[in-house]
Amino acid sequence: MNPSIVEVVNVAREVAWLPWAVQYFFLIGLSVGSFLLTLPWFVLRRPAWQRASRIALLGALTCGLTAPVALLADLHQPGRFLNFYLHPNLGSWMAWGAFFIPLYLGGLMLYAWLALRPDLKRLADAGGRWANIYRALAYGGHDSLGAIRVAAVLALSGAALVALYTGMEVMVVHARPLWDTPFLPVQFFITAVAGAIGLVLVLDRFVGDGRAAEDAPLLRLLAATQVLVLAVGAAWLLLGVSGLSPRHAEALAQVAPSTAWRITAVWAAGSALATFWLGLAARHPAWRLTAGLIALHSAWMMRWTVFIGGQEIPKTGAGYYVYHLPLGHEGVLGIVGTAGLWIVVLILLISVLPWAGQHRTQA
Amino acid sequence: MPDDTLLQSRRNFLRAFPAITAGVALPMGSARAAEDRHHWGMLVDVRKCIGCQACTVSCIMENAVPENSFRTIVSTYAVQLEVDGHMTASTYMLPRLCNHCDNPPCVPVCPVGATFKRDDGIVVVDGDRCVGCAYCVQACPYDARFINHDTGKADKCTFCAHRVEAGLLPACVETCVGGARIFGDLNDAEGELRRRLDAAKRSDPGAVKVLKPESGTRPNVFYIGLDHRFQGRVDGQAALWRPSEHGG
Repeated sequence: MNPSIVEVVNVAREVAWLPWAVQYFFLIGLSVGSFLLTLPWFVLRRPAWQRASRIALLGALTCGLTAPVALLADLHQPGRFLNFYLHPNLGSWMAWGAFFIPLYLGGLMLYAWLALRPDLKRLADAGGRWANIYRALAYGGHDSLGAIRVAAVLALSGAALVALYTGMEVMVVHARPLWDTPFLPVQFFITAVAGAIGLVLVLDRFVGDGRAAEDAPLLRLLAATQVLVLAVGAAWLLLGVSGLSPRHAEALAQVAPSTAWRITAVWAAGSALATFWLGLAARHPAWRLTAGLIALHSAWMMRWTVFIGGQEIPKTGAGYYVYHLPLGHEGVLGIVGTAGLWIVVLILLISVLPWAGQHRTQA
Repeated sequence: MPDDTLLQSRRNFLRAFPAITAGVALPMGSARAAEDRHHWGMLVDVRKCIGCQACTVSCIMENAVPENSFRTIVSTYAVQLEVDGHMTASTYMLPRLCNHCDNPPCVPVCPVGATFKRDDGIVVVDGDRCVGCAYCVQACPYDARFINHDTGKADKCTFCAHRVEAGLLPACVETCVGGARIFGDLNDAEGELRRRLDAAKRSDPGAVKVLKPESGTRPNVFYIGLDHRFQGRVDGQAALWRPSEHGG
């Protein structure tokens, strides 16, 4: 900071991408990451992954169905979302997102339906008030691996495009040096996968039988993601400190003077190290849950820091803008509301589909 | 070069009226062709700005800008200077507004094509199409855009396009007490704006500057007397007063 210049009057631009955006990027990232974790069992039929993949499918669906609501809420004219399809500007990554999201979610739901048809048939065969509905939904109840693999390719294409566009959309904003880095899409993706593993560990504790991580190498995978998180973070820092990349040096110069940013960086690195250690050492279910919660928190915090923290850096003015989280729908209520919607979708899905009772239905 | 007054600036602008009004009498195609030749721009002579914020207020009144939002503002800085070995304080004023760039980063990011650059160089937002995604707000390197909480749409300076189309000057130019803002047609070699720019460049090739030239946006708002310390993000102590709450 140059003490010889004091800004006396200037405009403070408020945060324009609200906490809704953080929620969207968090949830869609978790959904994509969770979907990837479903592949080892439903597509590759690795027995060790059966529990984990089934729980991951629940995570992919709940987060995938909730995320677009948060995205819609972040528009200041949500009723005009049709304009994305009526007047697409295909030079904009955000415009492509409007097509990639339905592609991914359509593929995911088709994939989930094909994967769950045998279970739906078992539920229908078990009788009860909903038997006819389950029978209709099961549509014969065949375990069609070929069809599942085709749907998986469709969903995987959508997932890859969603991961690509969410990263690129932010990366191309050259006006914000902090966002203008090719590391950002990579960081989004790695933390999304780590968060998804965390989500599976948490859901497994409360919805599953708590043994998903005993069969599948979830914890080792989680530890590996943290190595990548730390490596990418170190590479970003190295480029900034060394001055090899002027853009990274500029981004570092913008945040380095801030105590809050330094604390955030230490917190993020500490969380990654803690998750890494738990990934290697956690054997007790409570520690697995802790690892999952920290991974989820890190994925959310990374997005909060990038979006809200990034918008606190003035493009022309001195110092930093100060963001106060409002209590209303543009702040706390938006975050709590999204979480509440996710819980409602979760309750609905575990109520009508055979998640918790997978072993019972297979017996 | 004689130091033109604001009055002269207005007179020179109004002198172009016959050409504009004559265009109205022409068939529509010819009229449009005549309009296409305009390339509106602005010159801000920082040395003449007194920081009165009359431009800020007139812009708000003219364009019904919501409370605590600004299409233009005069950023004001207290600067310590060393003069003859003594430290002294000075005030530096920098009027800011949309730069109506020739390569506007806000345009390609808009997912619905709501923001675009008109043939006359003015960058505008189609309010009927804007979804309020705020992508353009993020992309603008000058913090010149914001979400209007009354309309839920992206908002910015339009060079008072509605006034310009009626043959009037933008409100901020009209009310500038010091005559620091000169608006005109960059394609008009005889116009006030072009003459001022050319004269300044003749006296000192580096006299005319733009904000953040390294960003490649090619602004159409030019500055005379722009201190390099204020050309990009200002490295200084944060504002003492900031309007931080929107009225919506």
